[in-house]
Amino acid sequence: MRNASLALAGARVALVALAALAAGSGCLPSLAAQSAAPPGRAARLDEDITFWGTRHYRLELSQGVALAISCTDGGPCEKLIATSDNPAIAEVRAASLTALQPAGYHGNQQSAAAVVVVGKAPGATTIRIRSKNGGRDVPISVVAPPISPATTAAAR
Amino acid sequence: MVAAAGCAMGGALHQATLVGQCATDDAACSRRHPQAPIAIGTHFHPDVSAELAGNTTPSLRLDSAVPEVIAVEDGALIARKPGTSAILISTDDGSVVDFVHVWVAPATKITLARRDGDRIANAIALAVGEDVTLVPALWNGAQRLSGDGEVEWTASAPGPIAILRDGSADRRRLRARAPGRTTISVALGEIKTAVDVEVVP
Repeated sequence: MRNASLALAGARVALVALAALAAGSGCLPSLAAQSAAPPGRAARLDEDITFWGTRHYRLELSQGVALAISCTDGGPCEKLIATSDNPAIAEVRAASLTALQPAGYHGNQQSAAAVVVVGKAPGATTIRIRSKNGGRDVPISVVAPPISPATTAAAR
Repeated sequence: MVAAAGCAMGGALHQATLVGQCATDDAACSRRHPQAPIAIGTHFHPDVSAELAGNTTPSLRLDSAVPEVIAVEDGALIARKPGTSAILISTDDGSVVDFVHVWVAPATKITLARRDGDRIANAIALAVGEDVTLVPALWNGAQRLSGDGEVEWTASAPGPIAILRDGSADRRRLRARAPGRTTISVALGEIKTAVDVEVVP
């Protein structure tokens, strides 16, 4: 009898934890890259996906490269604000996109919400994206551009 | 999603274009090649416009992601060292409307062409009173570079030919003044080329 009660309590705790995890994942905004990397350079937004959704994102950029990232949360993110912990490594700026995206479930549309992240200098920092319903902290790695063959040959 | 914003080409977000300022009938204009890398030490004077549905082009400004590679001064892009830098096209409040990755490369060769684009491969013969306009082109291997440089023009013998400026930073008009031979040298830093010119009566 006592074992059964303990098992039931354990199951309840597990369900509450799962529900909290699911709710937490569902409320966070989703990010998506909206531009491509130039040749030979990095500009990729990766996501760590679990059964409950995207746990977190990470970003890799080459120095000098910009990447547009859109934010959605059942529609374009509302009151989108993004900051960089170290603008000398990665700068983030608001983007003005005229494209309309579906918002909600009743046919409404709104302008896309997006930011542009710019790799300024090699290093690591974090981009903090906040909207009305939640936020994402995106670790970013800015890598140095590759050494050109001419430079390599000269170095030899 | 973003591509639906407009049909303009050039910017990564398809909302703005960044092209060189060039006369429509100037076939050899070195500024006509916005997709080419900019030669180190030269200026690129862009013409920026946006195509935003329901809007005329707003006030736009340019910013460079890495000013050590490309600097923006008085609306011109100045190529400083090899590499690439995103050029951000922003409104006056700093919102990015679009961006273009622009490359910088060293010039390895300089060639000359007439204004119609015909390349100068041999000596030029002119009668006294004739003139010809020559345009230098900068190359990195087989790739033509863009940008205006302060190209230096000199003549081995100044008598037969007058080298006249026509308002362009790099282009020159050669005016045949007296019979004779001379060699016109054209240099941008360490990169040089030369063409023999004969003036006949």
